[in-house]
Amino acid sequence: MLTDIREGRVLNPVVRHITQEKINLYAEASGDFNPIHVDESFARKTPLGGTIAHGMLNLAYVSEMMTSAFGRNWLAEGKLRARFKEPARPGDTLTISGKIDCVEQKDDVSYAICSFECRNQKGEMIVTGETTVKLSKDEKHDRK
Amino acid sequence: MYYYIVYRCIKNNQMSVKAVSCDELIAGYEFPRATYELTALLVSKYLKAVDGAGDGFVPPMAITACAIAAITKSFSPPAGTVVIHASQELEFFKLVPIGATIECHARVAQKITRGRMSMLILELEIVDQSKEKVQSGRATIALPS
Repeated sequence: MLTDIREGRVLNPVVRHITQEKINLYAEASGDFNPIHVDESFARKTPLGGTIAHGMLNLAYVSEMMTSAFGRNWLAEGKLRARFKEPARPGDTLTISGKIDCVEQKDDVSYAICSFECRNQKGEMIVTGETTVKLSKDEKHDRK
Repeated sequence: MYYYIVYRCIKNNQMSVKAVSCDELIAGYEFPRATYELTALLVSKYLKAVDGAGDGFVPPMAITACAIAAITKSFSPPAGTVVIHASQELEFFKLVPIGATIECHARVAQKITRGRMSMLILELEIVDQSKEKVQSGRATIALPS
């Protein structure tokens, strides 16, 4: 977990390689068998030209980065807003990065406002968004 | 043209199926509730799929995934077309222990049709067995109209 929560602090990135096997595992775990994710012959005939990863799989990696930085504060009281820009495909290596944009005080409670992005190995933006995490009173943080 | 959402509700290993036409997916439409038991096996499968490490609680994105899948898994758009998850907003309210049972509620907040595409804005609310709110959120889904 982060020990210094301050504006501009970069979160430890998460790097994950997407494979069809992982997508299939995710489909089994989530119950989402939309053919665009798991049926290669179907997906090839669509405008997307092949299978794509579930959007929620990409967000699982974002959540991993946030959990690593903020622990249970994220798991219990996090907020997220994400926009899916491009699909992640089998063979892609995704890098999820983020930083604390600011630390806000509201009603005697501090919140870390973070931005994040997920890019593939070509630098294409796959997902972008913002998160908000309520901070514990005993956590060290600085608004600057 | 009609196509159908087949909504699957799983509870105590029993499954019921209800089909609704796409035309019924208008603002205010409420999907049938879906109930999931978040077993250690389900969480273990999820963690394996996302390369995640467990910490005794259900990952919040696993809970969201159940809710999203319950709504979208049986969309049957016209051949050669796809349903796209365009955006997602989420808020978590509490830690959920492994073994808990959750109930997913979803409704169509808005439907915008432009040309051959429709955007559905879905509101989600997930509660635990004590009816305490676990998560809420909004998903935007694009589908052919």
